[in-house]
This record gives sequence, structure tokens and C-alpha cells, in this order.
Amino acid sequence: MLKPKAIQQVLKQATSGGVRATLLLNSEGSPISFVAETDREARIYAAIASNVWTTFEKGTKSMTQDDGVRFLVVECEEGTLALTTVSKMMLCLVAKPEVGIAILKAKSDALVRHLEEPLTNVMTNVS
Amino acid sequence: MGKSGAGKTSMRSIIFSNYVARDTRRLGATIDVEHSHVRFLGNLTLNLWDCGGQDAFMENYFATHRDQIFSNVEVLIYVFDVESTDIEKDMHYYQDCLEAILEYSKDAKVFCLVHKMDLVQEGSRDRIFNGRCEELRERSKPLHISAYATSIWDETLYKAWSSIVYSLIPNVIQLEERLTNFAEICEADEVVLFERTTFLVISHTSNIAHTDAHRFEKISNYIKQFKLSCSKFQAQFKSMEMRQPNFAAFFDVLTSHTYVMVIMSDTTIESAVTQMNISVARRYFDELEEGLMSN
Repeated sequence: MLKPKAIQQVLKQATSGGVRATLLLNSEGSPISFVAETDREARIYAAIASNVWTTFEKGTKSMTQDDGVRFLVVECEEGTLALTTVSKMMLCLVAKPEVGIAILKAKSDALVRHLEEPLTNVMTNVS
Repeated sequence: MGKSGAGKTSMRSIIFSNYVARDTRRLGATIDVEHSHVRFLGNLTLNLWDCGGQDAFMENYFATHRDQIFSNVEVLIYVFDVESTDIEKDMHYYQDCLEAILEYSKDAKVFCLVHKMDLVQEGSRDRIFNGRCEELRERSKPLHISAYATSIWDETLYKAWSSIVYSLIPNVIQLEERLTNFAEICEADEVVLFERTTFLVISHTSNIAHTDAHRFEKISNYIKQFKLSCSKFQAQFKSMEMRQPNFAAFFDVLTSHTYVMVIMSDTTIESAVTQMNISVARRYFDELEEGLMSN
């Protein structure tokens, strides 16, 4: 099981230095936990992120033989979006435009390292 | 047991056969004893004996079928009609019953339901019920009884039956421990476990105090009605979520025989995480139920 507060605390640690929001979504795209300025903002990010991810995944699965997309960076006018998966969930970071892509990647890698094991443990028990 | 027209079959139908209160008007008098087996929590079979209350049958139970009726009794549920004119006779039968119980199955638990409380004026309900209670306690010695005021029109019926059922579940303490544990991990205010078919409260755990002591029974009642109306549209009730500005409530299937209700007052916690937690907890509670099966 997941402790909602604990997971939020982990996400909070990554939400610094120009990162606006950090979200953890389930495979359907609903937020499990997030840190963002407002609820509304977070929900919009969640909807866009999961949509982008699934579209890309569908597209690449038919083109390549391997396991599809692992990491996705979308540079937008008002910021950068970094997407990746951890266990069966999706991790999404939204940063201001001046934040470098490498630092975003490093942050998301660190989160994945930290969350992978506990989340996999939980997900294997989901019936 | 109880005298004729007290409402034994009515309450049985409501709790176990999905009747709504006004449907019970269609029920006729019970002839002799109606046995029904109700599977409760899957492997616990409740053997309900609904004994017709006409005098002729009553005499019969005490005389010829005494050993059949009264041996191996786990629970005696005696229903009193609060409007009854002949209290003396009720008491007489009741005491006969207790005597027989003492003789054949002395470990049985005794529940007295003072039924049809809706017919008494609201202000005097407590007074009348307490009076009856005293008298019953006095007359039941040396046996210990639990008395409840009930009515098929409100949640009191569920309250009484929940406590009857509660006393029959063997590993209820373990169940409660697990529930408390679950509530703590998901940071829930309150977790309530319901039986799947009857929607009786099996167990609950609360982290905050609440003013309404009858809330579970009310919920049982509402959800059951809702479930029934779902089935009218050929839809199966499976789960539901209610979100209000200051709390969120989740109903979901837990094990194959139970439903769970989780109340969260922290609205910053997302629904998806609670739903996931419920589905993770399924295995944890399934284990317990399997343990019950093997016993």
C-alpha cells in the first residue's frame, strides 16, 4: 500500500530549482499524487502528459520491436515537460523554460531510482 | 422466535432476501418452521429457523419438537411486538423458550428485539423500550441477553442484526486489527466493512469521533436501496465514489464477500491512490478469509 503523504514528500523534494510541478500518474492517467501550485494546474498537466505519452507509445510500438518509449522531453513555449515511467506508473515533471534538459533528466532519474522498488512492490499486489 | 405477527419473517426478508420495507405487507403467516440457509461471508452459513408464532405451533415446539428445535442453537433471536396487548402471554412463551434453551444449548446467545418501534410515539420510545428491557433482563436470569429496539422502517433493524452477526464471526478481532492497520496506512478517517449480500456492518474502525452513532446502519440502508435500484436497470453495483468539499467517501468490493467503505477527510489525497490502496489491501483481507475457510 501507498502512504499518500509519504509519496508526496518525495515528489516535493524534486520540485525545486525551476521545476514547477511533479506528478505521479497511474497507467490510466489519473493522478496518484502531485506537487503543483494549484489543483487545476496539476490536473491539466496530468491530462496533457498522459495523452502525449500514450500517443507516442502507440506510435512507436508499431515502428520498433523493443519496449517502446522510455523517456520523453517536450519543449513548449512556456516550459519543458519530462515524462518517464516508474514501475507501471508515469512520472511527469514540468519545468520553466530556463531549466536545462539535462538537469530535468537527472532529477527524474533520481526519482525513478528512489521510487522504482517500492512502487513495483505495491503494483505486484494490485489485483 | 416470537409471537404471531411480531414481524420475524418481515425482518428476515428485508435483511436476507432484499425486500424493501413495504414489500413485507405481502408476506403471509409462517407455517411451522421455515429453514433458510444464508451464506454469509461466503463460508459461514447461517442456518436461520424462522418459527411460526401461532399458539398451535408454539405449543408444538415446546412439547413434541423440543429437542429438534432447541438443540445446537447458537443464537436465539426473540422478537417482541411492542404493541402487543397480551404481554403476559409473550413473556410466558419467552420464558418457556429460555427454559428449553437452557436445557438443550446453554451456550446460546440470546437477543431480544423489541420490534415495531415505529408505532410508538417518538417521545416515549426510549421510556417504553427501557421498561421492556428491564423486565426482560429480570425474566431472563440467569441468561445474559442483549436487547434492541427495532423497526423495519429505519436503520435500527440493521443495527440489531449487525451486532447479532458480529457475535457469530470467529476471527473478528483479527479482522478489526487489519482494518485499523489499513486505515492508518491510507490515512483514512474511518473504514467500515460490510457483508456483501446483506450489507450488514461487520467491523469498523475510526480515527476521529463522530456524533451520529447510527451512521453505519443508515449507510447500510441507503446503499442497499441503491444497490436494489441498480439491479432494476440490470446493472451491478460495484463501486462508487462521493466527493464533497470536505470529505471523500469510497465504496468498493474488498473480498468476494465484503464491501469496504473508506472515508477520507483530507481532500488533497487523490482518489486514484485510495482506490489503488483498496485493491492492494484485497490480498491482505483475502488471506484472512481463506484462513476462516480452512478452519
